[in-house]
Amino acid sequence: MYQYSPEDSNFLVERVDQFEKQLKRHLAGDLDDAKFKSLRLRNGLYMELHAHMLRVAIPYGTLSSTQLRSLASVADKYDRGFGHFTTRQNIQFNWIELPEIANLLRELSDAGLHAIQTSGKATRNITADPLSGLTEGEIEDARPYCELIRRWFNLHPEFSWLPGKFKIAINGAKLDETALRIHDLGLRLVRNNQGQLGFSVFVGGGLGAAAMIAAETASFVEVEDILSYLESTMRIYNLKGRRDHQKKLRIKFLVRELGADEFSRLVNEDWQQTKNDPNLKLNLVELEQLKKDFALPIKSLNLESFEEKVDFNYSIWKKNNVRRHKIDGFSIVNISLTKLGAAPGDATSEQMRILADLAEKYSANELRTTKRQTIVFPYVRKDQVYDLWQSLEKYGLASPHQGTLAQIVACPGRDYCDLAKAVSIPIATRVQERFNDMKRLLDIGDLNINISGCENSCAHHHVADIGLLGMQKNGEEYYQITLAGETLHETVIGKKLGPSVSGEIIVDAVETIVNVYLKNRLDQERFTDVFKRIGIAPFKEKVYE
Amino acid sequence: MSEILQIESILNKDYESVDLVSFQEWFENVNKLSKLSVGIIVGPSDDVSLIKDQLDCIELIVLDFNNFDDGRCYSQAYLLSKRWKFPGEIIGINAHLDQLQFMIRSGVTSYVLLDSYLGLDEKDYANGFSICYQEAANNSGLQKKY
Repeated sequence: MYQYSPEDSNFLVERVDQFEKQLKRHLAGDLDDAKFKSLRLRNGLYMELHAHMLRVAIPYGTLSSTQLRSLASVADKYDRGFGHFTTRQNIQFNWIELPEIANLLRELSDAGLHAIQTSGKATRNITADPLSGLTEGEIEDARPYCELIRRWFNLHPEFSWLPGKFKIAINGAKLDETALRIHDLGLRLVRNNQGQLGFSVFVGGGLGAAAMIAAETASFVEVEDILSYLESTMRIYNLKGRRDHQKKLRIKFLVRELGADEFSRLVNEDWQQTKNDPNLKLNLVELEQLKKDFALPIKSLNLESFEEKVDFNYSIWKKNNVRRHKIDGFSIVNISLTKLGAAPGDATSEQMRILADLAEKYSANELRTTKRQTIVFPYVRKDQVYDLWQSLEKYGLASPHQGTLAQIVACPGRDYCDLAKAVSIPIATRVQERFNDMKRLLDIGDLNINISGCENSCAHHHVADIGLLGMQKNGEEYYQITLAGETLHETVIGKKLGPSVSGEIIVDAVETIVNVYLKNRLDQERFTDVFKRIGIAPFKEKVYE
Repeated sequence: MSEILQIESILNKDYESVDLVSFQEWFENVNKLSKLSVGIIVGPSDDVSLIKDQLDCIELIVLDFNNFDDGRCYSQAYLLSKRWKFPGEIIGINAHLDQLQFMIRSGVTSYVLLDSYLGLDEKDYANGFSICYQEAANNSGLQKKY
């Protein structure tokens, strides 16, 4: 598994040292709130409703058991024994005391973890398919590219003070588990007609109040030219992006105002000046080294004589949570952290340690995090999946909800977040209680519900089968419903169903929508396919009747 | 009292006073000013590409870093220094201590800190790192890892 070099580790320490000095100046009254805010955000530190929150990066979603134990230790020492896995391959800790932040960051840096640029108006953590390297038909494992691009934009002197935050996702697989076209910038690994490897580039996606799908600005950029192309994109954004309107800071507004063609032309014009600069070429020698560092630590196994265990609960869990691996003899295991009443993505320090131990025993010391706030064990021997399930069952981690309606994605909502207009977790809990019947869940099948507590859309409600957006009306909580959004096969922003629905009856509305789907479904048709076929009217009619 | 410097001249690296004109003034009187060895004050919203063909006639360029969160001046410094190879000094005024590392690496050759930072150790902020991960206008003193 890839690990930082001593120079990289030293860089993390230097960054902590610098932030500690800034913190001391702030606490001594020598650095005002506004400037300190800008600096602390670039180190992942937020001021939330009750206390400070720290967002720690899990680059490309890959963690070692050692790193997860380090996160568990931070949860115990600095939070109240919890960590929250986010939809963008980060983990968040609450209840952080400001004077303790430097010590916390030092502990993380010992494990090769950091919070650099997990917030603020700079390039954020670069996300990848959590199944990178594991599935058939993938063009390439995206993670070496993520790492090289992450490094390049790490404290980049020119692009650390952008108009708004800048989120990048890279996908090398057939299906898009990264949702790259709802990112500020998405890269898709592709091969051209000559078989050369490169990237299609998509710019200007984003959710929030003005949800937009990123436009393709280049259909093919050669691998070694990608850094100069990204720099040109950011330079145009840095110089021309809106800075005068708080709600129009993201690059999507610039792309919309200029038009995708004009934006692409400006980027291309700038790029022609730098494209051939040898200093801006991606280092192909380093890339090859990283490919070795990220190579799968397993070889195919002949398990023909292996007999699968017969166990009803195991088979339900396996059907929902275990996926085919491209390497013979191995499986990909998805572990849901979903528990009634708990924030989706929340894990206790004890759970983190259990998962770290189990990953050490069953998954070559490696875990991945996903945008559905689950944990993936990427390398489980087929003949050990049952043993793993028994261990997970013992610790209450064998929830068979993966891919079912009960695997809800929700932001922390108004219970925790300063920005939220409505609660998210209690709604998720009520939906789970309503559908607390495995036979019914299996009948409904793969259907996702995402709940965001405000327009910032942290739970990506626009791209869920059923999306709920919390809002306030006359002091009461209401939820706007969107239907049939998706990102996996294609990127579609969900359609608004109609007027928002009161929190009191929102779960009834969700159940009605599910019933309309089931009534109209042909064979195993997906929700989005039913929606395309019958349109919004039947859903609208039943919800508002 | 505002900390923002309202300056009409600045000392160059040889400690000689150089008269400064605004970006707008430069264009209004370009024929006259281009013969006078003046410097130009460039604001964050000024389009530096407009002076790229006149750089030989400009003594020095002053970039205004007063707005802490406005990153346009870093791109301006990069374009002037690296792309168009401006031979004169690029001076960052109204500079913030915490941004020196970004300014210097973007191509700023000297700077004037805001008064509120006087007495603090600039070196900690100008040279806080031993390594850099990307090509820049000025990577001197840094181990390159890219």
